[in-house]
Formats: sequence, C-alpha cells, structure tokens
Amino acid sequence: MNNLHGIIFAYESDSRLRELTQHRNSSSIPYGGRYRIIDFMLSNMVNAGVTDVGLIVHASYQSMLDHIGSGKDWDLSRKHGGLRILPPFGYADGKHQATYGGRMDALAGVYSYIQKIRQDYVVLAGGDMAVNLPLADIYDFHLKSGADITAVCTHKPKGDPRGCIYFNIGASGRVSDVSVRPQLAMGCESLDVFVMSKSLLLSLVEHCAAHNIFSLSEGVLQPMSSTLRIVPYVYDGFVARVQSVAGYYERSMDLLDPAIRADLFNPSRPIRTKDQSNPSTYYSPNSRSVNSLIADGCVIEGEVENSILFRGVYVAKGAKVSNCILMQSTSIKEDVVLKYAITDKNVTVEPGRMLMGHSTYPIAVAKNATV
Amino acid sequence: MKKECVAMLLAGGQGSRLYALTSHVAKPAVPFGGKYRIIDFPLSNCVNSGIDTVGVLTQYRPLELNSYIGNGQPWDLDRSDGGVHILPPYMREGEQGTWYKGTANAIYQNIGFVDLYDPDYVVILSGDHIYKMDFADMVALHKKTGAACTISVLEVTLEEATRFGIMNADENDQIYEFEEKPAHPKSNLASMGIYVFTWSKLRQYLIDDEADPNSSNDFGKNIIPNMLGAGEKLMAYRFKGYWKDVGTIQSLWDANMDLLTSDFSSGFNLYDIEWPIFARSPTRPPHFTGKDAVVTHSLVTGGCEIYGTVEDSVLFHSVTVEEGAVVKGSILMPNTVVKAGATVEYAIVAEGAVIGENAKVGAVPEGDSTDRGIAVVASGVEVGAGAVVAPKAMITANVSAEKEEK
Repeated sequence: MNNLHGIIFAYESDSRLRELTQHRNSSSIPYGGRYRIIDFMLSNMVNAGVTDVGLIVHASYQSMLDHIGSGKDWDLSRKHGGLRILPPFGYADGKHQATYGGRMDALAGVYSYIQKIRQDYVVLAGGDMAVNLPLADIYDFHLKSGADITAVCTHKPKGDPRGCIYFNIGASGRVSDVSVRPQLAMGCESLDVFVMSKSLLLSLVEHCAAHNIFSLSEGVLQPMSSTLRIVPYVYDGFVARVQSVAGYYERSMDLLDPAIRADLFNPSRPIRTKDQSNPSTYYSPNSRSVNSLIADGCVIEGEVENSILFRGVYVAKGAKVSNCILMQSTSIKEDVVLKYAITDKNVTVEPGRMLMGHSTYPIAVAKNATV
Repeated sequence: MKKECVAMLLAGGQGSRLYALTSHVAKPAVPFGGKYRIIDFPLSNCVNSGIDTVGVLTQYRPLELNSYIGNGQPWDLDRSDGGVHILPPYMREGEQGTWYKGTANAIYQNIGFVDLYDPDYVVILSGDHIYKMDFADMVALHKKTGAACTISVLEVTLEEATRFGIMNADENDQIYEFEEKPAHPKSNLASMGIYVFTWSKLRQYLIDDEADPNSSNDFGKNIIPNMLGAGEKLMAYRFKGYWKDVGTIQSLWDANMDLLTSDFSSGFNLYDIEWPIFARSPTRPPHFTGKDAVVTHSLVTGGCEIYGTVEDSVLFHSVTVEEGAVVKGSILMPNTVVKAGATVEYAIVAEGAVIGENAKVGAVPEGDSTDRGIAVVASGVEVGAGAVVAPKAMITANVSAEKEEK
C-alpha cells in the first residue's frame, strides 16, 4: 500500500467566474474539451499510487457528485479506502452553514476523518487547478528532504496575484516568507499543494481549531515559516488556475499549443475522467475544422476555428464558430456566427443568431440557456 | 439465481477471411467504427435489451478479447449475479476435453454454465455482425407463439439469397424448411445467425446431437434441421434495419464507410441516445486539427492529431496525420502514424502501424467497380519512407522503398 493519502479541497468557488459557477463550484468547471478541473488533481494522485482520497465539499456539489460517482473511473471505488466525499458535518449546531473560512477550517470540519487516515503522509491540494504534477516525485522529495512541509510552487506565475500565495525562498533553501494575495507577484507562486505527515497535520488542525484560525496560508504558513521547515518543490510545467472567466478562457486556449498539450496530457501520467461512451466525432462532407480541439461525440457540419468543443456538441451547416469554448451538448444551429463566446452545458443557439465577445471579455452563456 | 433469459455469444471464430487483421486477435476483437470492437455491438444489444447474463465463448486467440471484456464494466455487465463471463473450452476429469467442434458443441460444452441460471430462454448470438436489435422483442414473439426456436431473418433479394441460409416459412412466418445457400431460393428470408431457444428444448437437442458421431455439431447444419425434422415449432422473426456481416476485408471496409452517411437513414446511427453502443475506451484528450488541417466526411476519435488532409475516413484514437499527408477512404486503427507527405488511399491500417514520409499506400480505384481493392497494413508494421504499397496488397512485415510490395 502506498503511504500517501490525498485530500482535495473542492468547496471553493470564485465569484469572478460569473455564469460558470452558477450551478457548480470551481472544481467542477469543465475544462480541456472533456474534463472537469477536479479530474487533474484526482488523476495526479492516482498516478502517484495514492489509493485513498478525501474530497472536501461544501455547497453546490451536486454537479461534482454526478461527475465523480463512486470514483470508479479513477479506480478509486475500492473495498478498502478509495474515494470518500466529505460534505460538512453537523449543520445542526449552526456551525458550518456558511462556507468554510479557510482550509484549516475545512480540515477541522473533517477532523474525525483525518484521525482515521491509514497512511503516514498526506498531500493537500486544491481541486481547481489543471496541472499534471509528478506527485510521486514530490512525495519522494518530501521523504528525502526531511521537510516538515513540502510546498509545491512555480517560477512561472500564471495566476492573478490577488488570488495567490507567494513564497520567498531563503538562503537555506527553505521558505523564509509567505505573501498572501499581494497586489503584485513576488517570489515563487504557490500551487497550493502541500505534503506533510499525518501527525503534523493533526497537530496543526488541533492548534488552529483551538485558536480560531481558519486559514492555512495566513494562520499556519505565514506565522510558522521560521519554526516549521517548509521546503519548496519547484514545478515549472503548465498550470491552469481557474479564477475568472477571462483567465479560464486564456488557459483553455493555451491548449491549442501542441507543447502545452503534450505537457498536460503526458501519456505516462494519463488524466482520467468520467467515461460517457461517446462515439467518434462526425465531420460532414462540407465541414471545416482548423486549429481546434474537439472531443468525441460531436457532429460538425459547419466551420470551427481556434475553438475548443466538448463532448456531444453540434455545429450545423452554415454556422461559423471561431475562438469559442462550447461545453457539453451545446447545439449551434444553422448559419449562427459565434466569436469569443463560452457556452455552458446544453446551450442552444437558434438559427441565424450572432454572438460576439472579445478575447478580454468573452461572452459566457449560462447552462441550459437558449439564445 | 434464476434468470428468464441468458445470452450466449459465439466469439471463437478465427475470421480467416480478415487475414492479417485477425492474425493476433479473434474476429470479435477487431476494431470497428472509430471507437469500438465488433463484439461491442452484440454486447450492447444484450444490455439495451435487458439481458444481464452473457456467456462469451472464446477459442481462437482469446487474450486480447479477454482483457477487453474484463469484468464487463463498460457494458454495465459487472453484476453481483450474472454479468459477462468468458467461456473457453476446458478439460474434464477422467476424459479428454476438446476444442469447440462446432457452434452447437460450444454451447453443449457449457450446458453447466447455462444451468447455473436455470433460464427459460437462451439467445444465441455471433460476434461478427454490426446491427442494433432489441432481443426483448424477439423473445416476446418467441413466448407468444410458443415456439421451440425463433430465428431472426432479414429480407434479401433472391439473388443475394443464394449466399445465405434461407428459411422457407408459411404465411404466419412459421418455418417449414431450411436451405443452406440454395441455388434456386424459394424465399428471401435469410438467417442472421441469431436464435432464441426454449432452453429445455435446446438442451435436449444438444445432448442428442453430441451423441451423433456423424454430426458436425453446428446450429445451421444440424440443430435447426433436426428440430424441423422432429416437428418442433420454429418461427421466423423479421428484422428490419441495418445489419452487416463484417467477415471480409471488403465488408469490413464497407461497414465502416456506412457510418459516414450523414442522414443516418441508410447507414448506422451511432449517435442514437436510445440505443447506445458501449465500448471500453482509453481516456484520451480531445482530438486536434492543426492550422492547415482539412477534415471532411470522416469520423475522428480522441487523441488524434491531424495536421494534414483526412477525407472519407474512419480514424480510431491517437492517430497522427502529419503535415502534407493525405488520408482518403481509409480506416486507421488506434496509434497509427501517417508521416509527412505520405498518402493512404482505400486502405485499412491496423493498430500501431507507421506509414513513412512520402510513402504511398493503396490507391483510389478507377471506374465504378464494387471491388474497391483495399490495401491492408497489419498491426505494428512500418512502411518505410517513400515505399509504395499497391492496392489490394496485404502487408504483414516492414517494407522499405527499395523493396516494393505488390
């Protein structure tokens, strides 16, 4: 049995995601043509041999449960261990009706679960980041470095600084200072993935609960950077954080670059997702598809350019789709012109309609809407 | 636990007329239609018809088929009672076991398996046809008429009838005579090789057939004529819709191309949500079409990277078509690579084969011939840079430009 346990924070949501999080939390936003953001961190863990994963959810998690199911698509439907979904416990006493105040608060909410973890080490990670992390190497690095906490970070910041944490790395190679949500990026951007021992995690959760500390970054990393040995693990591969509609759009379009796809979809660490048994995509005799990423189960009769199409999208004759992200089962009818738009699941655009956004402000059409 | 109906799927055939495509796998495991293997069609039909217990009888090259079926999860056939079971021939105590001697003998050797579920009816299927069929409807007819056996039939032209097993039936569709490939057919009802039997009846006929040393232990040659001869009630079930035997290179190619008919009226609709075809498929990212890609009238699957031209073709997962390459009227199975400037026309390229730069495989047939002269490149074969593979050629070993293959 692998000695690393996974905990994924999948309760977080960002209001800047507008229509995209109307029906779901950030972790279950569709990404990359056939995935949900959560698939990446779940797959990272499974690819590192992790067999037990706890998924902390709070509100709007129906979409997540529907996607994850029993965890069988990640081989996490097990007799022992496997996937555990952890909704808030104890609504009755009035606690935790509002969302968690931070990751330590969320961990305190599942304290009894942490106590029962079978493994000696735990990796904590957010569920709202698309990245293909070499987690087995990170775990190995943690064991060898003798760190109290291994903190994964990158030299190539991609996030909005006001939503990120930055590490200052001291001469000793340890994290010497932590900046939380600054105006400008400074140092290494944290990928919010941490490896530590179960015993340290338990003592930190107890400490924070007793002192009314909710935040991992401000309540633990920042004040304890001198007492705890926090060692950075630098990963400079592709990372997509989902923090705003515009950011989501940019990070999606990054996938049209073959080098980025090769990094994110590294075949030796495959990203798994819910299997839907879609047939292949059908191209009609007069279709056109250029510089686009197209999932299975689509029917393309019109023209598609610089776009990402999820499973089961229909583009009718005469329709022109460019620079768009069309999520699952979007139906684009005859002669529609669509530019710089993001259509959520099951959106229908009626014949002849025109919708145009801009790369800096893509139009997002909410789930199930008809234009 | 008792089941009303159990399906037995005959998947032991070599499929020798598919030549190089079945040198390593049994015919039912041959990839089909971009995402599937042939066996997905009968298996999905079982599940969609509400049959949850399926025995798959294997014999020839079973390894890939076994691992493909696994625990049956992609078809929802991972059941705590029933589900899908692989049934190879086996040894018995005190006597020598034998290979399956014929279709009837294969079922005979597994009477014990069927008896585990004590079914009222058994559906016998073969693993080499592409079709959608509601077996529940066929079983309902079987029950209503009180037949011992119901045989699914397809109306063909009298000309075609000479190539099929033909059922001669009265006005109520009760069969009174069976003729194998008749020179002068009396009816146009061709057997599709799909049978529903009342298990208690079939069980006895299988035992009697096994005791006959002159029998070839075959449903069409022995069991059906024996039942007719004994005066059993045999009914024809008229099937309407798409049905194709994919036992030859030409018919396999034709059936793949039938998936490209856009109105789905004459071809086969894979997008029908009422009757999904399930498959075990690896998770691959969406396919990518490059800046200069041209993709028309084709099926393309996850993991493909297309930078060249693809027309009238079926691409399975993870196929690469490089810049300037042209793929036309072809079937490219998983993980094949068509390098820059290569041309692949009217060909079937099996899994993992590599077509080198500026190589030329097959050709567009001249005139209106129904013989399309399909070239076949076997799995894992490398066609070297600049090499030429003639139409209708069957390539089973690496070829280079110097050693031109006819």
